[in-house]
Amino acid sequence: MNKDDVFNIIANHSREIIPALAAHPFQWSDQLAELGANSMDRADIIMMTLESLALRIPLTALANAKNIGELADLLHAKLQSS
Amino acid sequence: MQNCNQAELLITGIGVTSAIGQGKTAFSSALMAGQHAFGVMQRPGRQYGTPPGASAFLGAEIPALIYPESLSKALLRTASFSAQAALVTLHEAWEDAKLAALEPERIGLVVGGSNFQQRELVQCHESYRDRACFVRPSYGLTFMDSDVCGLCSEQFGIRGFAYTTGGASASGQLAILQAIQAVQSGQVDACIAMGALMDLSYWECQSLRSLGAMGSDRYANEPAQACRPFDRRRDGFIFGESCGVVVIERAASMMRPAVPSYARLTGWAVGMDGNRNADPSCAGEIRVIQKALQQARISAQAIDYINPHGTGSIIGDETELSAIRHCGLAHAHINASKSILGHGLSAAGTVEVIATLLQMQASRLHPSLNLDDPIEPSLNWVRERAVAHRINNALTLSIGFGGINTALCLQHDAE
Repeated sequence: MNKDDVFNIIANHSREIIPALAAHPFQWSDQLAELGANSMDRADIIMMTLESLALRIPLTALANAKNIGELADLLHAKLQSS
Repeated sequence: MQNCNQAELLITGIGVTSAIGQGKTAFSSALMAGQHAFGVMQRPGRQYGTPPGASAFLGAEIPALIYPESLSKALLRTASFSAQAALVTLHEAWEDAKLAALEPERIGLVVGGSNFQQRELVQCHESYRDRACFVRPSYGLTFMDSDVCGLCSEQFGIRGFAYTTGGASASGQLAILQAIQAVQSGQVDACIAMGALMDLSYWECQSLRSLGAMGSDRYANEPAQACRPFDRRRDGFIFGESCGVVVIERAASMMRPAVPSYARLTGWAVGMDGNRNADPSCAGEIRVIQKALQQARISAQAIDYINPHGTGSIIGDETELSAIRHCGLAHAHINASKSILGHGLSAAGTVEVIATLLQMQASRLHPSLNLDDPIEPSLNWVRERAVAHRINNALTLSIGFGGINTALCLQHDAE
């Protein structure tokens, strides 16, 4: 699985949690909060992504990601080391 | 409790959602026509097993909620079924009472009920049974009933207070009593009382059935016959989904353009039996009825309509009628809202006050379904058909497991 695959999983779960994003063209620089995801939505999106990736890591390990691209990078790195 | 302001406490808005209709107009029409919605329940999580050992609990379920355009889709998306019902029902009452014209800090909300999202929780547990580490983080917020307080206060901008209060099947009326106190004390100018939709899972259905509280073995194949409060052939309550909201205000603090009121609140009481169990107490029920009448400063003879708790319980119905007779209320018109609605548990007390108010407004009393052979035939029952009757003073009663009794006196605003 490459970084693009991880990015697309995040985008798809974001659309699932926020239906208004159905037609949104996701960019690596997108920030979930700016797309309308509140803290509860963001936690749900990340947890759904972790499940899709079968990654068991605490959400706090991803706290430093500033946008979806950085989140995809971090998750990809965790996948490589798991 | 001494009531110094009894003439000033008014109900200025109502909202109701039930299996027989959403909104006061649809609800009232169905009540008057005796249109029920009983059947084998279909909502996911209400039944267990596979045929031939599958459960077939009877009840009345809301067909589909109608969502006003102004409700936040983002809030609705993460709201439980109970919370969605709360939002749509509060929306009706909010508009009805024109609460948007009040200061948000002067509005409070009391949500009646505890543990009312059970089916939703069971669905979540079953879905994540083998992958608990991935349970949605939002569950940490939504599993609490107080999430309904948060959702409602965000949607409507309530800034006074919002909390839940539990009193089993008396929760809905207990919420009204709490709201009265908040308004009477001046804590807020308007207080919303909500009877929350009790969303039973099959676990509660089975245990209530095993306890002998919920019917119906006798009418398992005839759902339309199963719900029969006060009839000799009753065998327990039949569940019915519902949610009710009333808005309570003091006339003196109504600063906005005139909002018509439904009724005046004249007397109320809550009392415990000192009994943790499910069995009712005639003495406990008599005590709250007498206290409420005393506070309303009216005689039993002045009560011309009773909306009883009347669930269809074997012992509960008989006990309640004994209390009514003992208090000198045998003359009053009486019917059974639960025979049409089913038992909303946490919602029942509020929804039945709304049923009382709408009958008061229509000067018409709804029929009681399946009251073929009343256990007390000499009472003034409304049976097969609605009847014309102007209600001047009504008494509504609620009773809950754990020995809680409540009573509320409502007076026609023109009295």
